[in-house]
Amino acid sequence: MDRRTFLHMLGLVTGTAALSACSSEKEQNRLISYLVPPEEGVIPGEALWHPGTCTECPAGCGMQVRLRDRWPVKAEGVPDHPVSAGGLCVRGQASLWRLYHPQRLKGPLLREGGEFRAISWDEAYARILAALDEARGTGRRSIYLAGRTTGSLAALLGESCAALELERLPEFELFCHAALRQANALLFGQGEVPHYRTDQADALFTLGADLLETFVTPVDFARQFANRAGRPGRRWWHAEPHFSLTGANADLRLPLRPGSEPHLLAWLLRRLADGGRRSLPAATVAALPDVTLSAAASATGLSPGELEELAAGLSRAQEPLVLTGGGATGGEGGLAAAMLAGLLQWTLGATGKSVDFTRTENYAGVGSLLDLERLAGQLERGEAGVLFVARANPVFHAPVAWNFAGRLRGATLRVGLGDFFDETLREMDLVLPLSHSLESWGDVEPRRGVRGLIRPAVLPLHDTRSEGDILLELRRRSGAAVPGNYQEHLFGEWRRRYDTHTLRSFVDRGFVEEPVTAPPVVLNARGATAFLRGLRLSPPSEPPMLVVAPSIRRFDGRSRPLQLLEDIPDPLTTVSYGAWVSISATDAALLRLAESDELRLSIGHWSAVLPVKVQPGLPAGVCVVQRDLLEANPGGADPRTGEALCHLDGLRLEKTGKRVDLPVLAGSSSQHGRGIIPDPAHRKEEYKRASLYPEHTHPEHRWAMAIDLALCIGCGACAAACYVENNVPVTGAKDHLRGREMSWLRIEPFYDVPGGVEFIPMLCQHCHYAPCEPVCPVYAAYHNPEGLNVQVYNRCIGTRYCSHNCPYKVRRFNWWSHRWEKPLDRMRNPDLSTRTRGMMEKCTFCIQRIRAAKDKAKDHGRPVRDGEVVTACAQSCPTGAIIFGDLNDSSSRVARLVRSERAYQVFAQLGTEPSVWYLMKKVRGEG
Amino acid sequence: MRGDKWRMRLLARLALVGWFGLALLVLAVLARHREQAPVAPVQPIDFPHTVHADRLKLACTFCHTFADRSSRAGVPPLATCMACHRSIAVERPEVRKLRGHVERREPVVWQRVHRLPDHVHFTHKRHVRAGVDCSACHGAVAKMERTKRVRPLTMGWCVTCHRARGAPTDCATCHR
Repeated sequence: MDRRTFLHMLGLVTGTAALSACSSEKEQNRLISYLVPPEEGVIPGEALWHPGTCTECPAGCGMQVRLRDRWPVKAEGVPDHPVSAGGLCVRGQASLWRLYHPQRLKGPLLREGGEFRAISWDEAYARILAALDEARGTGRRSIYLAGRTTGSLAALLGESCAALELERLPEFELFCHAALRQANALLFGQGEVPHYRTDQADALFTLGADLLETFVTPVDFARQFANRAGRPGRRWWHAEPHFSLTGANADLRLPLRPGSEPHLLAWLLRRLADGGRRSLPAATVAALPDVTLSAAASATGLSPGELEELAAGLSRAQEPLVLTGGGATGGEGGLAAAMLAGLLQWTLGATGKSVDFTRTENYAGVGSLLDLERLAGQLERGEAGVLFVARANPVFHAPVAWNFAGRLRGATLRVGLGDFFDETLREMDLVLPLSHSLESWGDVEPRRGVRGLIRPAVLPLHDTRSEGDILLELRRRSGAAVPGNYQEHLFGEWRRRYDTHTLRSFVDRGFVEEPVTAPPVVLNARGATAFLRGLRLSPPSEPPMLVVAPSIRRFDGRSRPLQLLEDIPDPLTTVSYGAWVSISATDAALLRLAESDELRLSIGHWSAVLPVKVQPGLPAGVCVVQRDLLEANPGGADPRTGEALCHLDGLRLEKTGKRVDLPVLAGSSSQHGRGIIPDPAHRKEEYKRASLYPEHTHPEHRWAMAIDLALCIGCGACAAACYVENNVPVTGAKDHLRGREMSWLRIEPFYDVPGGVEFIPMLCQHCHYAPCEPVCPVYAAYHNPEGLNVQVYNRCIGTRYCSHNCPYKVRRFNWWSHRWEKPLDRMRNPDLSTRTRGMMEKCTFCIQRIRAAKDKAKDHGRPVRDGEVVTACAQSCPTGAIIFGDLNDSSSRVARLVRSERAYQVFAQLGTEPSVWYLMKKVRGEG
Repeated sequence: MRGDKWRMRLLARLALVGWFGLALLVLAVLARHREQAPVAPVQPIDFPHTVHADRLKLACTFCHTFADRSSRAGVPPLATCMACHRSIAVERPEVRKLRGHVERREPVVWQRVHRLPDHVHFTHKRHVRAGVDCSACHGAVAKMERTKRVRPLTMGWCVTCHRARGAPTDCATCHR
């Protein structure tokens, strides 16, 4: 260091030292009284729970929020909810970010020139009504396009569209499952997405449907996965062109060429039709495309042995289930695949049992891209008057070739309803901000007979309205007699539907189950035969091809504004921030590409430049991009079903020669034989302990955790729950590139099994002999009498010795004081200390929850019960893979699991004696 | 040449000493003017605990209703004050101030007397339910014309009592 730099540093150091001394306690000395006491049951400083429903995706999982001093600080699953049964996914956990997001729309906006200016609601309503009148006068039709709408709002929308003379288009969802609905309408007269009960099937074959990521109700499927796991004789095959989290969790993943799904299913149907539970008419079987085993094998790219094994497994099974959807039905052969799968379900006896048409998933009002194409036509021809677009992003999802944004200009007034500026709202003339589901009343009916409550937990943060209120206000201003507001309308509806007792329970529990009558499900054999006769199997896609996959983190792109979901890495690639394209190792070698090299992908006129991530297990010639990472939809729509095309041929790849910094959080894709997940053999090296310190004693409790790796699907819900519960800072791409991510809990994917991946959640192991403790010079890291490895933040001076000495690399250092931009600071859990610059932090086993449970037990004068302390990660886990409890209580669940022969500790040979036990997928020597 | 070099070195050293001196001076001034929380701050309404707690013998939890139910004792809502002062002593100047706040629907911004740092997670409920008298930490509030802090509220002081009563002294009891 030269003198000049030395002096610079000197100035900086003294200056910052002086500045950091300038703080005032003045603000903190204010003690503001309430005017009126809080309502009954509300105790300031104590948590209050509000049940409701998650609206981050259409699944409609039960979600309750914890309020601290009237602000929601944490979302959790509602136990025994019919859809989600207590779990909550990574997006559900992040949904609080939507409420508090600094960039939320805060009031009505009007476009003037190229700029938006804030206007009042009165002006907005007046402009809409004037434009509606004008459109009526000029003979133009005004149109309402919404995202998937269920429950009372769907009914109100119907009424309001009729009253305001609006044409209500079928609702828009990218994942509309149109092929499935169309096939079920053709086969059984039920144009529905059935409720699949995969846990009832002993042999399950899923084709394309990404059950654990976005398919209809992922949390429900994860729970079903947990129900299946550990039961002997159960087998799950999953076929897909790429490598998804669902495929990673199947017993056997069959990489098949996209577009070959109908070939495979036709062969399966021919093979299984004879021995089926319900026989198909001879004419139907005769009409089946003639696909031989070798033809099926050559079309799919699978070996005849694999196909035979699958067929044999399905025919042997008591309750076989074949399920298709997602990518398999999002292509040219989508309808054929759905039809053939429907027939297979019928003949295998699944229809009516594990394929339930009674409590169907409610996609009644949802259309497809074809409806959007019709709208584009109307706009083009100048037939459209006022166009409303609510909770949908058609500009982002319509194929690029349609130039949907340009065609929107054909409407006389474009009104957008939403909560963030997205591709569609930016094209609007008038933007009406919608309240969050935690700020408004409502209900949803995600599945027939299941009604979920939406109930305000907090007063609206901004000048926003709910969609129901907007519709009612428009009707009132056009002279109709309507209820005062949407809340009154809803309560009127609910009182009509439910008696007082049911209504009470609806509001208290957050959901109600209504009786549903089973519809008759009869096979329309003639229709099926006619379809099959006209069916010509198209050849499958040729590599190289692009697979556009849904994203577990951002669904179809709607969760993009939530930065928390960027901080949590993608489960398979561990890429956190930014976009990337996954390619196979073969392709990377062929194109001489290293990770982070930029690659230009082009199909026809569309092209995108993305950095490369090598994805182990991905077949050669397949490039995968998650839908939300692309700026526009490169494909088109299937002309028969209207589903977006998920795999695209004719891909050209070109190396640009540039490199991009891509934050990949996994240090390595292999565990290098270290036995983190001990398969096939667990290293059992004895550790000889020699210590001068006295032994730790745990007189009252010894908290411990068991993580069942057979149940962990790697979804990341635990990590998201941990972020929100523990105020873990969201740092950003720059820090991630420097390896300074702050997540207390990470999921490590290891690709050591050929063609597969194993996940292990890694968090502070709360070692009995913790290497971090003796190296701390200030006693900030110490072992407490309850077996916790505690970090006392206010003692920590930031030497980072502890982190260096930690073999699990779970300690996180605050390189600076992370700030929560207002109003995100409202989300912070006040039960924890704020960490500032220079402090080490890590998993605490949710010590605040332990304290709360102990406090409650003490109030009742009893010891803490097993299962009473639930850490945030354990609560959120949709499969219940994480179990927390007291090891001193030998009858506790965790103590029993620790004694299981599947239990092991990571790096046991180091003698750290962690308090986290992992349960191996299978015991050594077994199958 | 030689002289120049010497002069330069001297100047550099002087600058260095000067810089540190200046920094020290600034710190000293800041420290001097740093606001210390007053032991007995002036309150917006001169509330006499002597009248309420001593003369009228109202229990602490009569107004601080959450002391035995929550981590916070809670400063009473103005509605609690008005429950009595709608009819009692309505003409007293301090009660008028109170009524003014209620009529303007404007909360009273009291000055905190007992403040613990953010990294201390103290709970009133556990202490009250363990039978610790309020005066153990707050002093004889009933005898105070203006409430003042009489205990140091430092960690050493907390731990002394915890040790004496056999209460937990694990760091994680209060810090997390």
